[in-house]
Amino acid sequence: MAKLLVADDSETILLLLRTRLELEGYEVETAADGQEVMDAIHAGAGGASPDLLLLDAMMPRKSGIEALRELRAEGVETPALIVSAHQDAGDAELDVSGYVTKPIDFERLFAQIAELTTR
Amino acid sequence: MARFLQQRQDYENATARSYQSEIGARNELARGEDPVAARAKIVAERGKRQSLRSDIDGQTRNTALLVGAGLIAGLTGAALLFSGLISSMRRPLEELVGASGRLASGDLNARVRVGGLSETAALGAAFNEMADELQRQSGERDRLDRMKDEFVLTASHELRSPLTSVQGFAELLMLEREQLTTKQAETVEVIIDNTRHLVRLLNDLLDLARSDAGRLTIKPVPTDAAALVEDAVRTMRGQTEASKQTLSEEVEGSLPAVLVDPDRIRQVLVNLLTNAHEYCPERASIRVAGRLEGTEVEISVKDDGPGIPPVQLEHIFERFTRGDAGLTQRVGGTGLGLAISKSLVELHGGTIGAESALGEGSTFYVRLPTAAS
Repeated sequence: MAKLLVADDSETILLLLRTRLELEGYEVETAADGQEVMDAIHAGAGGASPDLLLLDAMMPRKSGIEALRELRAEGVETPALIVSAHQDAGDAELDVSGYVTKPIDFERLFAQIAELTTR
Repeated sequence: MARFLQQRQDYENATARSYQSEIGARNELARGEDPVAARAKIVAERGKRQSLRSDIDGQTRNTALLVGAGLIAGLTGAALLFSGLISSMRRPLEELVGASGRLASGDLNARVRVGGLSETAALGAAFNEMADELQRQSGERDRLDRMKDEFVLTASHELRSPLTSVQGFAELLMLEREQLTTKQAETVEVIIDNTRHLVRLLNDLLDLARSDAGRLTIKPVPTDAAALVEDAVRTMRGQTEASKQTLSEEVEGSLPAVLVDPDRIRQVLVNLLTNAHEYCPERASIRVAGRLEGTEVEISVKDDGPGIPPVQLEHIFERFTRGDAGLTQRVGGTGLGLAISKSLVELHGGTIGAESALGEGSTFYVRLPTAAS
């Protein structure tokens, strides 16, 4: 089953995402901010890298948008979904596979993940 | 002029005296006294009068010339004075007209140079003062608007995280519904329903604030209409199934792509479906259809619910207009959904409309531009 790296600064949201995604059968790794996302990607560069990133747009220290921008600059092409409170958090320049708005519509999220991980 | 009249008077007196002495000379001649001297006098008097006349004619001409020259000089002076006056007023006035135009069209930096006549200078100073005040007020208004927008955005963001948790965990509980008692399951359903309502309120308020600030933006991309419909239907499936309503879709094959912001049009479709779901009784039938209509793709949501009275249908896309009051008691809307949907569809260059017959049902449709058109 596909492996997801999920980042959010709220522990409650992380618990919710992990629970729902694991129930769907995904393997879930979590990060509390953008820096942890970068660290996890760099640590797993050998082969255990995730199939999909699910990043909160706004996080302290380093936001999901910033982390993704840096990863793309490094040549990391892992598909990414940005989770945001607003629909207009997008960045036209950024290579994002899709946006997920809070509160999360899980049926829709599962459909998006399935499409991106079975390609 | 007085000198001219005096000369004229002198001339007339002299001429009269000359006639008198000529008459005197003629009488002497008639009496036969010294005819040679008398004749000489008559001739002399005639000559004198002729010379007097030629003098006075010359003087009259000179006076006329003088008066004419005076008139011309006066008029020229007046004209010069006026044109000076006019030009010294015209430049400031033209500047005022120009600056007023710029100010009216939104350039709050428009000012005039203050100078020239005291009246135009005062006018210019008053104009600049007014422009300063306008700029100050506008700056203050912009600042308040920004604060309001910032507040709405922050509040919406801060409220969303806890709402995500409440809704998410309540839904998680419902995944294990069979392990809950009926009362527990009903309780969780109440939590979910109310969270959903809060979310809708939040979304609508946010969109409304954006729309008012002219910041409701879209990012149109060529989008598969069938996928949009499918996406919206999937979102609504759980709710319609809970009410035992039939939700079916019927999208023409090979529809051209529509040029829309997928998230925004999905929001519009979910809004139309939510309305159909909430205003229709249990076991109602809701049908979503997609078809090509000229150069546009029409997506319609048709239900067999109670229908909308014509009086309400007329205003259905206005803010805070809601369906029948008897129904709204159990309907969770905000009265903003259709107004926002209309703004969104029109932002795409599309149209939204509704048809309804009491007792038979309602059809809401949106027409969207295709990516090719």
